[in-house]
Amino acid sequence: MTYKDRWLAWLFLAPTLVLLAVFLYYPMIGTFVESFYSTSFINPNPEFVGFEVYRKIIASREFSEVLWNSVLWTVGAVILQNILGFSTAMLLNQGLPGQGLLRALFLLPFILPGVVTAILWRFMYDPQLGLVNSLVVRLSDAENAVAWLASADTAMIAVIFTAVWKGFPFSMLIYLAALQSVDREQLEAATIDGAGPFRKLIDVIIPSVSSVILVNIVLTLILTFNYFDIIWIMTRGGPQDSTHIFPTIIYETGFGQFRFGEAATYGVFSILVLSVLVALYAIVQRTTSNRRATS
Amino acid sequence: MKHYISYAALGAALMAQPVFAQDVTLQFWDNQQTESGLSDVQKAAVDRFMAENPDIAIEVTTIPYPEYQQRLLTAVQGGNAPDIATLDQIWLGAFAEAKAVVDLSDRAAEAGLTRDQFFGGAWDSAVYEDALYGMPFNVDVWQFSFFNQDLLDAAGVSSADLSTFEGLRAAAEKMTGDGKFGVGLFGHAGEDTVAVMNSFIFSNGGEVLASDGSCALNQPEAVEALAYVQDLAQFAPNGILSASSGDMRELFLNGSLAIEFWPALEQPTLKSSEINWGFVNGTAPEGKTPVGTFGGWNLAMFESSEHKDAAWRFMQFLVSEEVNGDVVDLIPANTNAAETFLAANREGPDQIMAHLNNAKPRPLSARYLEIADVQMRLYQDVLSGTNAQEAADTACGEIDAIN
Repeated sequence: MTYKDRWLAWLFLAPTLVLLAVFLYYPMIGTFVESFYSTSFINPNPEFVGFEVYRKIIASREFSEVLWNSVLWTVGAVILQNILGFSTAMLLNQGLPGQGLLRALFLLPFILPGVVTAILWRFMYDPQLGLVNSLVVRLSDAENAVAWLASADTAMIAVIFTAVWKGFPFSMLIYLAALQSVDREQLEAATIDGAGPFRKLIDVIIPSVSSVILVNIVLTLILTFNYFDIIWIMTRGGPQDSTHIFPTIIYETGFGQFRFGEAATYGVFSILVLSVLVALYAIVQRTTSNRRATS
Repeated sequence: MKHYISYAALGAALMAQPVFAQDVTLQFWDNQQTESGLSDVQKAAVDRFMAENPDIAIEVTTIPYPEYQQRLLTAVQGGNAPDIATLDQIWLGAFAEAKAVVDLSDRAAEAGLTRDQFFGGAWDSAVYEDALYGMPFNVDVWQFSFFNQDLLDAAGVSSADLSTFEGLRAAAEKMTGDGKFGVGLFGHAGEDTVAVMNSFIFSNGGEVLASDGSCALNQPEAVEALAYVQDLAQFAPNGILSASSGDMRELFLNGSLAIEFWPALEQPTLKSSEINWGFVNGTAPEGKTPVGTFGGWNLAMFESSEHKDAAWRFMQFLVSEEVNGDVVDLIPANTNAAETFLAANREGPDQIMAHLNNAKPRPLSARYLEIADVQMRLYQDVLSGTNAQEAADTACGEIDAIN
């Protein structure tokens, strides 16, 4: 790249960099700074308190609950979403009749806005009127319907299921594209060698798409960790804080209770986790590119 | 040609009319809490004010309740607060502490506006650290026990039984079964949950905060009330920890719930339904009077207003006996206006007045929202079976740490 080309590249990048600096990095740095101050609506003049807000938050029962919930929510939704997405992609890759229609049907949850999905599932889980319970009661001879969103034992499972329902088509699309690039000759050779469908999956298909799987898992980790709509609409973090995750606690602390300093501190924890995930994504991407370059 | 001359003459005549310069434009923000069509009536009142005060123009902005708090907060933080706004009683302490709203004590005294013209609890909800930061605008009380008379009759229950803790429990037990539920308790993380649970505590002689500001939820009267509600919950619909008063209303309206807890605001909905309904004023142990939890809104003037005198004129107009009843969707906070309003719009006006006069406000603290957050967790813990004393001790530890 010549000197002139380099200048031109920076020139084209400049608008994006300015926008990122103003709308992303500046607020992010502001959040870091605010987390060292005690600021709230009733105490609008910031008072520097160092790590005091961090100490207070880490010592609170809310923090450990939020941390545990975030891990459960993110890992649970990502694993299930990827398994279901991969399985569906495998199914759609078989050249079944009506494949176009099936693909459109599977995509439907993905194109629904998160708020609509949450309202829909909230109604589905309703203990008195919901479809889920009418099925459970009919199929299991249960006397009482399960109050999915009203029990600390089941609320997280219910919201994860909703997130998987909404998110699996995203993974499915990516896996479907990857599966279509699996070498047909290798599959035919495996068939000739007597490999059944399971062996072909383990020895041919998964190794061929492993880099895509890794990238997809890291991407969905980032997206799920940061997801707000479904939990906020369905449970508002309850009951008994059993579904509070970082985005919901930040919103509630900042906009529900006017405690900006504490909301900023939760925001910093959230940024740290996301930074790790983004770094992981970058590492996976680089490893994948290197592997491609050497093969 | 003749027509053109006539039109020109008419135009000239119109232009010759005296034009009142509207020197001041006031921004008034209000929340839209119900779908009562109130805005038309409110608009008529505002038009009347502008006609009587040609130097003042009013721009009314109505914001749906779920967005209202955030919009106000952002406006104050951004220096774009309106001149006047309605503030939920539970927000006033925070806005006063933040010095966002004006101390109205002197203006009110000068204008002869005193506590005895309003519901006492409503007036007190506008007082923060001995200064008056708002004018009581509208009120209601959590809760009235609205009952389905047909379900009561079928179970052989008298509505008078619902007024006592013991009677309510017995009635709820009788009316639960065959797809029907005795009592519409709810426990989602919302202010309606806090208000209803508080009223059980108040009615049993308990308090949320003691007079010295310390937490009183772990005192015997409060714990006893919590244990009572925990026991009563077995006669409520499944899944109350995610249910709100709105969810219970749906069950009440479809005839599967015998008793729902709502403010008097519920009456217009019930009147337009086919339910054969009635109500009693909350519930208390035998020999005690039910004490409700006040809800409602105060009018506040913002420090950033450049037209405080004009704003005060408008505030006085809105809380006056003649106007207050026309511009609220709850119950006017002005007691004389309330009597007229209730007689015209509600069943059992005397009964409602008695419950209003006996109601208590929620804690008047600048950190109320944090306290309420702990209370919500406490009530959810109790409703899900945690020992009431243990849950209350934990909650009090957290509330005292906040204070």
